[in-house]
Amino acid sequence: MKYIKVAAAAAAIALAATACGGEKKDDAADAGKDPAQLKVWMMGDGTPEQTKFLDSVETEFKQKHPSTDVQIKYVPWPQVATTFQKAAAGGEGPDVTELGNTDVQSHIEQGSLADITDEFNGWADGKTLNKTALGNDTSDGKIYAVPWYGGVRGIWYRTDWFQELGIQQPKTWAELTAAAKKVQDAKKVPGIGIPSDQTNALLSFIWGNNGAVAVEDGNGGWKGQLDQPQAIEAVKYYAGLVSTEKVAPEKYIGKNELEGPQRDFALGKLGMYIDGSWALKEMKKVSAKNADKWGVFPIPSKTGGNAPVMAGGSDLAVWKDSKAKAAAFDYITVLNNAKNAKGWADYSGFSSMRSDVKFTDPKLEIFTQIATNTKFPPIGPGWAEFEQAKKVLPNTVKAIMQGKNADEQMKKANEQANTLLNP
Amino acid sequence: MLDTAPAVRRAPGRRTSGRARPGRRPRFGPYLLIAPTVLVIAVLMFWPMIQIGIMSFQKVGNRQLRGEPAEQVGAENFDKILNDPFFWQTFEHTVLFAVVAVTLTLVVGTLVGLLLNKLGRKMSGFVAGGVMVAWATPPVTAAIIFSWLFGTTGGLVNWFLDLLPDALVGGGWLDYNWFATPLSTYTVLTVCVVWQACPFIAVSVLAGLKSVPGELYEAARVDGSGPWRTFWSITYPMLKPIFMVLLVMSIIWDFKVFTQLFIMSGLANRDAFNLSLYAYSEAFGSLNPKLGMGSAIALVLTFILLIVTALYVRVMVRQGETR
Repeated sequence: MKYIKVAAAAAAIALAATACGGEKKDDAADAGKDPAQLKVWMMGDGTPEQTKFLDSVETEFKQKHPSTDVQIKYVPWPQVATTFQKAAAGGEGPDVTELGNTDVQSHIEQGSLADITDEFNGWADGKTLNKTALGNDTSDGKIYAVPWYGGVRGIWYRTDWFQELGIQQPKTWAELTAAAKKVQDAKKVPGIGIPSDQTNALLSFIWGNNGAVAVEDGNGGWKGQLDQPQAIEAVKYYAGLVSTEKVAPEKYIGKNELEGPQRDFALGKLGMYIDGSWALKEMKKVSAKNADKWGVFPIPSKTGGNAPVMAGGSDLAVWKDSKAKAAAFDYITVLNNAKNAKGWADYSGFSSMRSDVKFTDPKLEIFTQIATNTKFPPIGPGWAEFEQAKKVLPNTVKAIMQGKNADEQMKKANEQANTLLNP
Repeated sequence: MLDTAPAVRRAPGRRTSGRARPGRRPRFGPYLLIAPTVLVIAVLMFWPMIQIGIMSFQKVGNRQLRGEPAEQVGAENFDKILNDPFFWQTFEHTVLFAVVAVTLTLVVGTLVGLLLNKLGRKMSGFVAGGVMVAWATPPVTAAIIFSWLFGTTGGLVNWFLDLLPDALVGGGWLDYNWFATPLSTYTVLTVCVVWQACPFIAVSVLAGLKSVPGELYEAARVDGSGPWRTFWSITYPMLKPIFMVLLVMSIIWDFKVFTQLFIMSGLANRDAFNLSLYAYSEAFGSLNPKLGMGSAIALVLTFILLIVTALYVRVMVRQGETR
């Protein structure tokens, strides 16, 4: 009897092992015909509201493709890199996917995205899309993705505290430090949250001092600028808020803005912190008690005026292995039509990349102003490793916050920029 | 146990066939029985390991995952990591952590095991149940719980340390950042890993203690031996085989700790990396994976563990000989 059981178990295991690879449905229908299924990957954890929104998009999409079933899969941001690796290795990729805009160039370089130049040129709405963002989706004159939404960051602050203490909106770095100090002394909470792992904020300070991470060298490569005085001064100021001015607490060293500052600000335990428009709904989830006293002002540059901010955001692309490219692009046009773009902006708090869709919430209006002055970091194929795998800037900032010599650290970071950004 | 089995199985009739050993047909039965296991292990373990071995001599990125042939780079990956001071820093972290964590795990685990042996039936069951919860907790859950316990806003540990008189522990604990420096990060990591690993040690030691004849302890007591002396003169020698196995297994476990450290400090704190995290950051850290480099690091880690495992097997075999 035991032999039979063992044999049965062995057979079951063998079956399970082969089942993984065996099932390959043949949906190689003609590209023009409606596919039975369209796989759409959305980044982030997904919420019931988002699912509801995407359901209405599907209904609209089905008017044109009645026999196609849209399958949404949410990919949490921390798992994005590994999920796309698996998609590339196993061939089980999406048809349509959302992509973080800093990742688009890496995907293009790896040959994961379909060339959609022709489809794009045939799409009337394409002309409303932000040109800078579209440029980031282009390589050698070919278009591989479509800008969907964007987000810029500002400094969240407490309007009631600023009023009570008579603080004007800081226009320079010195005023920002002074404001943080005043809040910290009067309210007994840290003045501002400066995490070491927040490159998007750090970039605004580097750019606000006319510095740069790297500049194009003219031969298609990048030349590091982190050892230049402008960048060093900016990083010294940023890290100095923690180490020398002591208006930012040490508890955010090694963290990002979501691992402390956002929660503490929402709870009224932090004076200011840097985040985007989408933070509003997240903070309301933590505590909506002071929500009407939250305000935003642009990140100041060193000597006055708004510093340029990094244009974060997401784009939409058709996966190269997709068997239904036409339907996939159709889905993008429905998802990003004027009506749905507005619905998405209203729900998510991200601004649309369409020039004909504006923010309606007055609280978020300031972000429209901030968004007039955006910049991109050196987003080449090497940026992913520089920023995600090696986290060069966060680790440099951390070292400087903990008292290491800034000039030496920045020199090292610049050497890494020179190698990693030119893979 | 196992070596007695053939003696029972051997049919009396077989003996009469005398010395015809060379001519005996090979017996497929046993091999057939282990075949499924071997097959599963081969598919799930050996094949990936071979792949890692091959990839560590190549340059592998997403393009290669898509099916493009990988470029052979010879020993370049190994050359790069072995000449990188950062690799040696992570190596140092890995070894130091293993030494401290293994020692603590064995000491605490043994103490808990001795305690369990001393307790009455009900209390022993209660305590055993309690420590088993720690063992049953998945590493991810444990890591999240510990990073909350040691967190800043609402962290229980900081709150408690702040309540204690300043003369005892110093002030300013409320905002203390446990994950800012490698030393404090590894302190939390050690507590977390030891907490999870000591139940296994405790239960194994308890099982061993149950097999030690009571007369030995009685005799020791009559001779006036204290607990310390009794442990080193009776318990330890009797349980030495168990301790050896536990030691080697703990070393293997603590060398490859990844989950807890990944959750507690993550990729933004390279100064606290260990070998596993370093390999992960190279191979899976970004959209531009360097699977070749990651494989090379993993291979070095595997090599170290193989040495330890060889030791382990030796211990096992030795134990078999003495019986």
